[in-house]
Amino acid sequence: MIIAVSGKGGTGKTLVSSLLIKSLIDKDMDILAIDADPDSNLPEALGIEVDRTVGDIREELKKDTAEGNIPPEVNKWDILDYKIMESIIETPEFDLLVMGRPEGSGCYCAVNNILRKIIERLSSNYDIIVIDTEAGLEHLSRRTTQNVDLMLVVTDPSKRGILTAQRIEELSEDLEITFKKQYLILNRVKTGNEDELLEEVNKIGLEIVGIIHEDELIESYDREGTPLINLPDDSQAFTSILKITEVLKEI
Amino acid sequence: MFEDIPVDVSPMHEGERIRAANMFVELAGPKSMGAELIQVADDVEDGDLQVVGPELSDMTEGEIYPLGISVKIQGEKLEKELEGVIERRIHELSNYVKGFMHLNQRDQIWCRVSKEAKEAGFKLVDFARALSILLKEDFPLIEKISVTIFTDESEVESFLETAKAAYDYRDSRARELSDEDVDVFYGCTMCQSFAPSHVCVVTPDRTALCGAINWFDCRAAAKMDPEGPIFEIEKGDVLDSTKGEYSNVNTIVAEKSQGETDRVFLHSLFEYPHTSCGCFEAVAFYIPELDGIGIVSRDFRGETPLGIPFSTMAGQCSGGKQVEGFVGLSLEYMRSPKFLQADGAYERIIWLPKEIKESVKEYIPGELYDKIPTEEEAESIKDIKKFLRVNEHPIRERLKQSKESIETEVEPDSDISQLEEDYEIEDNDAPVAYLPQMSVPGSDGVRIILKNAKVYAEKVIIKKEQK
Repeated sequence: MIIAVSGKGGTGKTLVSSLLIKSLIDKDMDILAIDADPDSNLPEALGIEVDRTVGDIREELKKDTAEGNIPPEVNKWDILDYKIMESIIETPEFDLLVMGRPEGSGCYCAVNNILRKIIERLSSNYDIIVIDTEAGLEHLSRRTTQNVDLMLVVTDPSKRGILTAQRIEELSEDLEITFKKQYLILNRVKTGNEDELLEEVNKIGLEIVGIIHEDELIESYDREGTPLINLPDDSQAFTSILKITEVLKEI
Repeated sequence: MFEDIPVDVSPMHEGERIRAANMFVELAGPKSMGAELIQVADDVEDGDLQVVGPELSDMTEGEIYPLGISVKIQGEKLEKELEGVIERRIHELSNYVKGFMHLNQRDQIWCRVSKEAKEAGFKLVDFARALSILLKEDFPLIEKISVTIFTDESEVESFLETAKAAYDYRDSRARELSDEDVDVFYGCTMCQSFAPSHVCVVTPDRTALCGAINWFDCRAAAKMDPEGPIFEIEKGDVLDSTKGEYSNVNTIVAEKSQGETDRVFLHSLFEYPHTSCGCFEAVAFYIPELDGIGIVSRDFRGETPLGIPFSTMAGQCSGGKQVEGFVGLSLEYMRSPKFLQADGAYERIIWLPKEIKESVKEYIPGELYDKIPTEEEAESIKDIKKFLRVNEHPIRERLKQSKESIETEVEPDSDISQLEEDYEIEDNDAPVAYLPQMSVPGSDGVRIILKNAKVYAEKVIIKKEQK
């Protein structure tokens, strides 16, 4: 099952992704986390240090090719396959693949095409894949999330966050990308004004699957750079994500 | 056939990855060493399977061990040249074994054995057996086969030496592989999303314009993804071996470019040059005043002697258009023995950025190297001309030999005329250009095609457009 977490930048995609991974950890399941946001910090949220991303591999290959360092008989599929595997960070609980920086100048059609195939094949080895998508809508137009089973759209109470959430819903419809399920998650909700907010977000037409309240603890984790995955099991944020995991079991 | 092997052996396990969390041991890979090698030999003992060094049962869970896979084959019709091709199959066939992961090739292999396979009683000798059966099945030419698996560190080390020598030998052969040696070229339409009529033709002597894929990559890609954008082109009859024109290349390009382009010269920038997508690493451009060719790469930030930067030039000849006098190319193509061979190869090159010049130094004929100016020696056509004269570049012979004294005057489009200052060609001693057909690239501007034209001018002035 492929789960993607999307939304406007800064609305809490990474919080949701990291807690989702925490809630899914199970020794009988192979989990792959993919950080697809060049500007994201999923690795930090998961408490992992990354030294090489897919973006770095792409640049390395380009450099090696230009300099003529690749033996003529060795093909680039195999090289990329190996390097991607090498870049995966493996923990006992889950694996992490970081897409990293966007392309530099020049042509990346060929490399990206190969990478897409390799990552598709790689993904087929996992029971659950959680993608922290790039902020905004581009993952839809580039169809990098078209095989996603479950799309979780995150928004905070801000007008812009809600607008992006709405656009994600509309664009996926326009592009005829059909997810098995698409849900909305509200983040940073102030206690007391839920009703007003709910009225606003109900217009988007997406079922709300979770509400995460404003939390002093999350703020302090963010401030101090403490991995969000270490949030206590009884924190409100984590318990609301656990409910989502329940919903997943029904899909 | 595989009944002695305690795990399933089938193509359905291809692409299997074993997570660190599920693995029993890792073999070779980035944290250790390893290699695989297939050799044709004369005294192969069929079915001989050996493990030299610790077996899986002697290994400790979670550890990393070196690995060597040595396969010897014998058969009446087996030739040494086939070793590489057969060796390439090890990757796919090894992955048929459930619980055995195999990545990459040569001395860059990376394997893992799953805990599950270990618990089922799987041993390395079983892997050797599966591999020997699968290889024999795949290549009926193999009459006898033996497989030796090395896990002992010093054994792997010495095996690695043997293997590397074999790879070097093969690479030197592969570098010699030329367009004449193969019947199949490859076409790539990956860039058609933005250059809808562009078809890249990839041959042993000509890598794709983007520099990303060569003939060997295409061969792998066409196999891995048969429905994908890379496909085989039977080259057909040779129409012109110097220019690089092939009957079936023309046919397929016409078909895949929706009729936009129906003739392609692979090794020339005149008449019917290869089209350009927009991805190319460099552009070769004709400098009519000197009857020479300049080259500029994407990374070059300044202006070319034509007075325009790479980006402007790229804009004029990209998008799948066939623009005579301009061709997109990869830097690797500059290392090809057929590099613009129809146009005179490096003898025709009269300007290129220093960075490229250095990176292809060993491919530029030694006596020419100091005669080709870079941005450090020449910023304008005038500078180039002076440099060529002082350094006695052979292109001057070419100019002298040309009897026709023809100059062309063309009304350039607005892009090309972005000159800082009015540029004048004062010399009228040399023929500027004589071509049966010459066109000026234009994006928004006017496209002028001169067919068998003779245009005489005492002076050519190109002015910056007044807006």
